[in-house]
Amino acid sequence: MEHSHFYAQIDRYAYTNALAKCSPITKGFFAVSALLISVSSSSALLSATIFLITTIVTLYVAKIPFHFYFDMFTLPTIMLMLSCLFIALFFGYGEKLAEIGMLGFTWVIFKNGVTLSITTFLRVESALSCLFFLVLTTSITDIFITLRKIKVPKTIVELSLLIYRYIFVFLEVSAKMNTAQTLRLGNSGFINRIRAIALVAGNLFIRTLEQGERTFIAMNARGYDGNLHVLEDLPKPTKIALIGIALFDAAMLVLIILTISIGVI
Amino acid sequence: MLFRLEKLSYCYSDGTLALNEVSLSITKGERIAFLGINGSGKTTLLNHLNGILKPTSGTVYYEDTPLEYNTKSLLSLRKKVGFIFQDPNDQLFAPTVKQDVAFGPLNLGYNQHETRKLVDQALKTVGMNEFAEKPPHFLSLGQKKRVALAGVLAMQPEAIIMDEPTANLDPIATSEILHLLLRLNKDAGITLILATHDVDMVPLFATRLYILNKGKIVSEGTPKEIFSNVELIRNANLRSPRITHLFEVLKKEDNLPIDDQLPLTISEARKEILKMLKKQPNS
Repeated sequence: MEHSHFYAQIDRYAYTNALAKCSPITKGFFAVSALLISVSSSSALLSATIFLITTIVTLYVAKIPFHFYFDMFTLPTIMLMLSCLFIALFFGYGEKLAEIGMLGFTWVIFKNGVTLSITTFLRVESALSCLFFLVLTTSITDIFITLRKIKVPKTIVELSLLIYRYIFVFLEVSAKMNTAQTLRLGNSGFINRIRAIALVAGNLFIRTLEQGERTFIAMNARGYDGNLHVLEDLPKPTKIALIGIALFDAAMLVLIILTISIGVI
Repeated sequence: MLFRLEKLSYCYSDGTLALNEVSLSITKGERIAFLGINGSGKTTLLNHLNGILKPTSGTVYYEDTPLEYNTKSLLSLRKKVGFIFQDPNDQLFAPTVKQDVAFGPLNLGYNQHETRKLVDQALKTVGMNEFAEKPPHFLSLGQKKRVALAGVLAMQPEAIIMDEPTANLDPIATSEILHLLLRLNKDAGITLILATHDVDMVPLFATRLYILNKGKIVSEGTPKEIFSNVELIRNANLRSPRITHLFEVLKKEDNLPIDDQLPLTISEARKEILKMLKKQPNS
């Protein structure tokens, strides 16, 4: 078992956080509505507000440790910074902010390019915070049952359910194969490493086919009839929580209108 | 008669004859072990008892009715005969323990309320009710095996078939599974059929056993009958239980006055030693 694995850790928090017993409908409503609002507006103030609120809820209400939450942001933030740098350097028109002479070229940085870069950065971070809130507080079982409740096509839900479970089985298998290769010095040097990864990938592919067949047989042995039935016991959403979230959403929408009318970014 | 196999042969698509005219019968309430080395045909044989494999020739009878291989009759067979696979990862597919155990009863058409009761009961029986909400990948192998057993128990079967139920388990997990199985047999009257090569475990478990070698049944009898024929055991590339082997050596090499019927388990060995020392057991 790979307890220390990052994905397994996310899963663990999803089952053990302080909001685990809260209705997934409430949590999903909060995360998805905040996400939609934040991506539909280009206001930096709004994005920052949503980011702060979801982060506070994740850290202080759901009680996810700060360092773990921080780690989750590291990688996407690095990628995002690169893209935003690109936007700031190459996008925009009109009012110039700076001109840089370089290799015989004159490089122009525009004011609205920089603005776009900043708003994009905040927008993506706030969207991520909404997503991380959902992922860290809601177990995958609850998400599947909720998806089924809101009439997402069965095939998609059932496929995701099986994929989810076997991700962990194959994570374990690939970790074992990787260790076996390392012990026989398969990971020494760049070329060897590439070769080793290719071997694991090829092997895993065949393993998945075999596993699929065995799982199907095992499911048949327990009377599988082509329909995956699940126990549907979910905590009911409380009205007060739903109303609270609706009010929060309304406040954010008002904030959008305000920022447009007074001209704040 | 719960199961009866008549001249059952099975040939894999690559031409390997895995079973060669196997005939046998199993009555209700028995604890049967199929003993044989890897590749002797044990798993193939078990797969026929639950309709997973269809014989190339020969017939499987369940309660004196020949097995049919359409969806409906297979479903009604699988309601009565549970199957536990060697690798619990093949069996546990649901995101939580509870959901996995619920899979069988829901397939049988029990409603949510009835299913919840069956799941609770099954998890209690195997001692895993604390883990109901956990995902299977947080469990140890022994715990996964017990959950797989609960998944079958929740369907309230008449018979349970197990492929190597104690393979790769530590000594404590092995003995827990073994005691659990014996209790199910005694209390619920569930017929148990398992395949194994663990010869030390067989005398503790089985009321009757079959020795398989190269797809054929080479011998059948109680553990006492089977293990008294050392020649036969060795021809099937198996060995006697350790304790039996020790008594065999003590008898043959050291001429100790030991009964012809060699002990198969620790408790039988204890009696034998006390008898030699003319001492009463300390109860």
